[in-house]
Amino acid sequence: MKMNKKTCVLLVDDEPAIIQNLAPFLERAGFMVVTGNNGIEALQRIVSDRPDLVVMDVLMPKMDGREAVRELRQAGNWIPIILLTQVGEASERAMALEEGADDYLNKPFDPHELVARIRAVLRRAKPGQPPITMAWKIASGNLTLDRRARRAYLDDKEIILTPKAFLLLEYLITHPEELVTRDRLLDVVWGWDYPVGTRAVDTRIAELRRVLKEDPTNPRFIETIPGQGYRFIGKLEIA
Amino acid sequence: MKRFKWYWLASFLPLLLSTGVGLYLNYASTRNPILYVRADLGTAFILCGAALTILLMLLLGIFETWDYAKRSQVDLLIQASEDHRRFMQRLDHELKNPLTAILAGLANLKEVNASDENKDVLQSVEDEVRRLSRLVSDLRKLSDLETRPLEKSKVNLTEVIDDALSLAKELPEADTREFIITVPRAPWPLAEISADRDLIFLALHNLLSNAVKFTTPGDTIEIRAFEDNQRITIEVADTGPGIPESEVPHVWEELYRGVGARGIPGSGLGLALVKSIITKHNGEINIRSRENLGTVVTVRLPIS
Repeated sequence: MKMNKKTCVLLVDDEPAIIQNLAPFLERAGFMVVTGNNGIEALQRIVSDRPDLVVMDVLMPKMDGREAVRELRQAGNWIPIILLTQVGEASERAMALEEGADDYLNKPFDPHELVARIRAVLRRAKPGQPPITMAWKIASGNLTLDRRARRAYLDDKEIILTPKAFLLLEYLITHPEELVTRDRLLDVVWGWDYPVGTRAVDTRIAELRRVLKEDPTNPRFIETIPGQGYRFIGKLEIA
Repeated sequence: MKRFKWYWLASFLPLLLSTGVGLYLNYASTRNPILYVRADLGTAFILCGAALTILLMLLLGIFETWDYAKRSQVDLLIQASEDHRRFMQRLDHELKNPLTAILAGLANLKEVNASDENKDVLQSVEDEVRRLSRLVSDLRKLSDLETRPLEKSKVNLTEVIDDALSLAKELPEADTREFIITVPRAPWPLAEISADRDLIFLALHNLLSNAVKFTTPGDTIEIRAFEDNQRITIEVADTGPGIPESEVPHVWEELYRGVGARGIPGSGLGLALVKSIITKHNGEINIRSRENLGTVVTVRLPIS
């Protein structure tokens, strides 16, 4: 990232109140902000203002966020994109990633969380390269994830994961080297705050580690950050 | 929309038969002195047949109207629950955008306008907004539950009960309550059931945390489970203030908050959520309560 210039964020939402309140907040966090009201405007702004990252609502008139992402990616534009989703369903949220967004956030969200997401995505993004969230096959050591078929393999042998465990592994592996908080993982798996939060995540991670034959004291894939969350530490190969 | 039913044809049967017999009597037999009597006999047959047919048609008509009314009542019920689900979804959607904007606005204000006097006001506004956010989140849970398929696996209820209880004991008020747990270990433990572990856990957690929330120091909370026939029964009982009789039928309704619930934090969706979870597992749930004595919630889940 360029150090001499402020990072430019394009904020797209059809709700004026959100733009009005979120734009100054992002500016105060140190970003330059340009705005748009729908997908078509977003595409125009990306050409005219050359932002470093796009934060875009999904449900918008004229052209919705998902369609705009699809169009950009089809044209080979890999600008980092965070989608603001409205839908709680896990499958819908996973779809946001598959369609080429770098990350997503469920409305309503804490604006500080958005800033954290923006920074994490910018750190991860490699200019001119498709985001890792778009890779259908991801490998790390002897572990392979086939995201389209929703299958995982260890040493070429299929391992059986529950849909939720798969979602967890998928999110961690597509956010490598990033500390993912338990709350965030809960949001990924459930889409709503599960009251018994941390414990449910820990149970799932333990289950995942068992299947991955992982030694928690000396992990190859998932590292525990005590009191905070988890981080995927395996080296990735994208097929 | 009303389709013609084959059995309406059957109602013409008496008329056809009697016309046949009647005509035969009138014309087929040889003429003789009692011709008139026969002729009348034939006509009488035809008339009887016609009357029977009309009677049959009337009966069928009544049956159909009754059946239709019954069916449209079922249709109406299905329609109503569908409308209700969509309403909850829309409410959730409509609340999300303003909440997102308010949260961002508050975050702005807190950074710009940080005088002590304003801080308290901002904090209280923020607390209320968070409460609303929780409500929206609970609404989403409810509508999500309706559409999300259960992720079933073999569930060891003894384990789930233990987990839920140890979580309830972490609640701040829990220190002053006495907990009793009765789960069979001999001659055999509770059978495993096929269920969505996370959801069953959520349901038990809601029931237990309700029990903690609505009781006062010194009260007892008891959780007991046993197998009966092909079902497992789990009861969560407390010696709290109980629920007035007039309120008991409403406790499962969304956003219902009884008189005793005032001043106790909660969204009014907890029990609605529990009921939805148990119903989705083909289970049953009911509540018995006596004022000033306590409350017991009974959950029954099928084993297979």
